[in-house]
Amino acid sequence: MSDFEKIEYKPRSVREILIEMKDISELMIDLAYSAALFNDRELAEEVLELESRVDTLAYQLNMSTMIATRDPEDAQGLVGVLKVASSADKISDAAADIATIVLRDIGVHPLVSEVFKKVEEGLVKARVNANSILAGKRLDELELASKIGVDIIAIRRRKEWIIDPKGKETIEKGDILIARGSHSGVEELKKLAEGTLQKLEEE
Amino acid sequence: MSNKKQIEKIVKMLAELKDTSELMMDLAYSSILLNNRELAEEVEELEEHIDELHTEFELLVLSSGFKQEESKNFLGLIRIGVVTEKIADAAAEIAEVVLRQLEPHPVLKLVIEEAEETVLRIQVSENSPLVNKTMREAKIPEKTGMWILAIRRGNRWIRPKPQTRIYKGDILIASGYAEGEEDLKQLATGKIANKHRSFSLFKPN
Repeated sequence: MSDFEKIEYKPRSVREILIEMKDISELMIDLAYSAALFNDRELAEEVLELESRVDTLAYQLNMSTMIATRDPEDAQGLVGVLKVASSADKISDAAADIATIVLRDIGVHPLVSEVFKKVEEGLVKARVNANSILAGKRLDELELASKIGVDIIAIRRRKEWIIDPKGKETIEKGDILIARGSHSGVEELKKLAEGTLQKLEEE
Repeated sequence: MSNKKQIEKIVKMLAELKDTSELMMDLAYSSILLNNRELAEEVEELEEHIDELHTEFELLVLSSGFKQEESKNFLGLIRIGVVTEKIADAAAEIAEVVLRQLEPHPVLKLVIEEAEETVLRIQVSENSPLVNKTMREAKIPEKTGMWILAIRRGNRWIRPKPQTRIYKGDILIASGYAEGEEDLKQLATGKIANKHRSFSLFKPN
């Protein structure tokens, strides 16, 4: 087992940490299913990284909660916060379990991923061609979420994965995008990335 | 391969497990952030449903007559099933916190206050303009500022997607700003208030 970092107390609000935990654990689930669906080991490894981030957050949340507890009344009220944190942690563990399926080559039947792609239309992987209008654009310029209902959750650039890219991220040609959204939205994104569609068709 | 039809059935069920577990997670987080018991109760109910579904799924996988060399792949399926179960359990735990606590602690209240939202549960009546529209066509967030978290149809729960169609009798669970509540009520009952408000839309992740 690799070495565990010592987790230090950071003065952050319980609320902030809780919301970050919630967001990351939800993101992890989508990434983990993507890793299984597209049989991508490196993406699976990213999921495991996020898992350790959630672990750290859980520790920090516990510490912040301990500091906020002054009397029995506080203890009664705050025990719920700890419970929620431990649940968020379990959700992220569950996502990590999926990643482990990929990393240990346990596999999911090839036919399954075919059928799964049909049933679960929300996840897509697309490569950005040189003639794609996405190339060279910033995410906040494209506004894919509000325009076509698609959310880019990860970008593969050369040897790196960029997880949960922010608005200032610029898409480059050759990028591989992992996105989630409605069926029509992800289909449109695929065409935009391929370059077969040259304009964002808003709904 | 044992049988393509069998596999399709397995996968369909797996997709339902996945969907239900994620729906539970959405509802559970909403229940805690909005301190809403009703949503928490829905999560508890779904928990029973998903337990049954999971057992059914495992039996189906185990009885599919796979060959030895396929066993790894089928193990993968079983494991993903277990993951959905874990997520569902975690969601139920979150809901339990809401159900146990009468008064949320100030710290949780801070989280709640941030979102000045309410939760509404309303049935779609025959006369509603929403009937037979897809979520995308219905444009509920644009019209009311309310976001549909879940749809209850008979005893089934549906996690709304843009292509999900609304039928009469559906029960919509929505959250959003208190001002939108009346608008959604009117929309669902068919007494239309057809004003388009420019809300800054919040979208729960």
